[in-house]
Amino acid sequence: MSENKKNETVVIETNALDFYYNPQTQALKNVNIIIPEKMVTAFIGPSGCGKSTLLRCFNRMNDLIQGSFIKGNIRIHGKDIYKRDVQLEDLRKSVGMVFQKSNPFPMSIWENVAFGPQVNGITNKAELNNIVESALVQGDLWREVKDRLHNSALDLSGGQQQRLCIARTLANKPDIILMDEPASALDPISTGKIEETIEELKKEYTIVIVTHNMQQAARISDYTAFMMLGELIERDETKKVFTNPTEKLTEDYITGRFG
Amino acid sequence: MAQKKQSGNNYVFTAGMALVITLGMTAWVIIIILFKGLNFFWPGDLVLVDMENGDTYLGEVWDEKVSGNLEEDELQLKIGNRDLYGLDFIWLNERDIARKNYLENAVTLEREEYGNFYGFISSIHMGDTVYQNNLADFFDRAQEAHDVALSKAEQIREIQNELVELTQPSAEIQREIALVGISLEANTPVASKKVELLQKKLSEKEEAIAPQLASFNSTLEKLVVEDRNMFLEVADASGKIKKIALSSIVRFYQPNEMGVIRKSVHYIEKIWEFVADNPRESNTEGGVFPAIFGTVLMVLLMSIAVVPIGVMAAIYLNEYAPQGMVVRFIRLSVNNLAGVPSIVFGVFGLGFFVYVVGGSIDQLFFGDTLPEPTFGTGGILWASLTLALLTLPVVVVATEEGLLAVPRANKEGALALGATKWQMIRNVVLPNAMPGILTGLILAISRGAGEVAPLMITGVVKLAPSLALDWSFPFLHLDRKFMHLGFHIYDVGFQSPNVEAAKPMVYSTALLLIVIVVMLNLFAIYVRNNLRKKFKTATF
Ligand SMILES: Nc1ncnc2c1ncn2[C@@H]1O[C@H](COP(=O)(O)OP(=O)(O)O)[C@@H](O)[C@H]1O
Ligand SMILES: [Mg+2]
Repeated sequence: MSENKKNETVVIETNALDFYYNPQTQALKNVNIIIPEKMVTAFIGPSGCGKSTLLRCFNRMNDLIQGSFIKGNIRIHGKDIYKRDVQLEDLRKSVGMVFQKSNPFPMSIWENVAFGPQVNGITNKAELNNIVESALVQGDLWREVKDRLHNSALDLSGGQQQRLCIARTLANKPDIILMDEPASALDPISTGKIEETIEELKKEYTIVIVTHNMQQAARISDYTAFMMLGELIERDETKKVFTNPTEKLTEDYITGRFG
Repeated sequence: MAQKKQSGNNYVFTAGMALVITLGMTAWVIIIILFKGLNFFWPGDLVLVDMENGDTYLGEVWDEKVSGNLEEDELQLKIGNRDLYGLDFIWLNERDIARKNYLENAVTLEREEYGNFYGFISSIHMGDTVYQNNLADFFDRAQEAHDVALSKAEQIREIQNELVELTQPSAEIQREIALVGISLEANTPVASKKVELLQKKLSEKEEAIAPQLASFNSTLEKLVVEDRNMFLEVADASGKIKKIALSSIVRFYQPNEMGVIRKSVHYIEKIWEFVADNPRESNTEGGVFPAIFGTVLMVLLMSIAVVPIGVMAAIYLNEYAPQGMVVRFIRLSVNNLAGVPSIVFGVFGLGFFVYVVGGSIDQLFFGDTLPEPTFGTGGILWASLTLALLTLPVVVVATEEGLLAVPRANKEGALALGATKWQMIRNVVLPNAMPGILTGLILAISRGAGEVAPLMITGVVKLAPSLALDWSFPFLHLDRKFMHLGFHIYDVGFQSPNVEAAKPMVYSTALLLIVIVVMLNLFAIYVRNNLRKKFKTATF
């Protein structure tokens, strides 16, 4: 396991990563990045620059797209996740993902949260109850829904639904949580709550978040990576990126000169 | 020269008219079927017609030809009494008619055989007791006598059944003896030993049941004599007297003196008979219960077969198969399968299910009864499977639509939580696609329930001796032939010896078939709507 200069443990490490949706469409070009443990790493960049694509490489969601392929490699805890012997289900259990648009299943709240543990083989009802409760507590939703766990998840408000999706991911006890613009569809109050939750979660989890909102990146992340046209332009401590970026492109972007 | 711009108005108008005409004609058919189908059960008044030439006829007015010119008007009477006249119907010229009378004591007798008898009851015979029609409560006595006769007939049937049960064991032994006689070891000492043993068993059995058998037989004889001595003497319009056994009468009534309420009661009874009873008179009278039963059971079996296969095929095409030329071709073929004429499916069903599959099953499991086929002949299972094949494309297409409507986000959500593809399909896709699947089922039922052609060569019969579901093991007899409402319509309407008398039956049966298909559909729609409420994210 490699370490960076500040003695932080590196969890994800990409090496000359290229990603193609098809032989004509290259979405990622030679991306080399490290993501340290129990930190929040934010990805910013103009839309279409490949942030989601990169994120979806980390839990191999891109495998669903027929005809796509990668070059280079991605190591999580030192292990190449695109190796043949990797169990996709295990990978996705330990690398959870929260999507841009909340996507609760049309089931009860309880069933939504218990879904992950259940498909991963936990059947004991008491154990499931415990997992559901602690996941909802961590997702900061428990107080609001504890009396209606068996109501449909679709009756929750947008912000609650997104926190349910976070809790659902937490129920799997992952070590990495990928979040793709988790608050972009929410009002400021709900966004604030999600940010508080993330603040809380980073004590225990490695969080990778994509955001189009630079204030948000500045507020919640430890590291910020700036991407453009499929390339990683700059990645550094958030304070440094926002106050004294190395690259001209980064500076132009964060000062709003384009994008 | 400026060319006139083409406006679409004409086309819109034509298309609209075409739609209106189509809908109008459909509505017209349904109205006719409703009217004629429901009218059939209403007890018609009996008119006594005196002709100028001295002939008299009694019957129900069936049809009229009104030309505006009284001289040419004609009247069709249903005069019944097939055993006397041979014909059920007669056309009379209005100008030859001298008088029409509606007599209160004119009676319609519905019989087990020969159709209706129209006439007048002249006397009731109950053994030695005879009532003449000058009594005040004569008609009520006739009804009472009828009830007595029917219960006697019921007793006779019961005793006959008990007799069969009683003699069953000895009949079985006799069968065994016969089997030894034709087996390979016949005429060997072993065989004669066996026969001897069996013979001994047989005589023991017969001795044991002898007293009971004798008592049953004597009761039976007594009852049969009693039954024979219970009859009505009836006179037709011309006064010709005829004896009719009371137990052979289904019911009788005096329509001319019945009020609306009694007619309504009678009407409901007749409808009940229609849906709950067995057919009589080569299907032109009585009920259609076996056909209803066969239709519903066949549709159920078809659904049980077609839904899993269709859904699995759709899931494979949509979720597993790599999208490309091959899948596109398969999808196209499935869609085209829906356009293959149903008789072709019937022929396939006969060739594949009946001869190949059924034949093999007979060879493997029913070798002892060959060459008499068990599954190697048409039956409800093969007919259902043939229809399942016929409706498969509908289910596949509708299910695929349902699968496509499942939000991608939900599928990704499940996979991102570490679900396998199958877990995702089971827990997220299938419940979401359920309304689409049910839509497919609804369409399949609509198509399957009304289909007749393929059934005619895979197991439908005009009169099935027994239902495919009964109390004898294994309860569901999938090898049995069955009756079907659609085939019933065809058979009664176009194959019966007495088409005119059967006509109302055709309308009623058609109405019933429509009602059943609508009900099956409503049930499926009800289930689908409930599911829709549950999965309101899905859009379909
Ligand atoms: N399924 C796909 N097939 C082909 N190209 C895609 C697909 N998804 C995204 N792309 C392309 O890849 C590039 C990166 O997209 P994405 O990662 O979604 O950008 P971002 O999340 O940064 O806005 C875009 O140019 C987009 O058009
Ligand atoms: Mg994106």
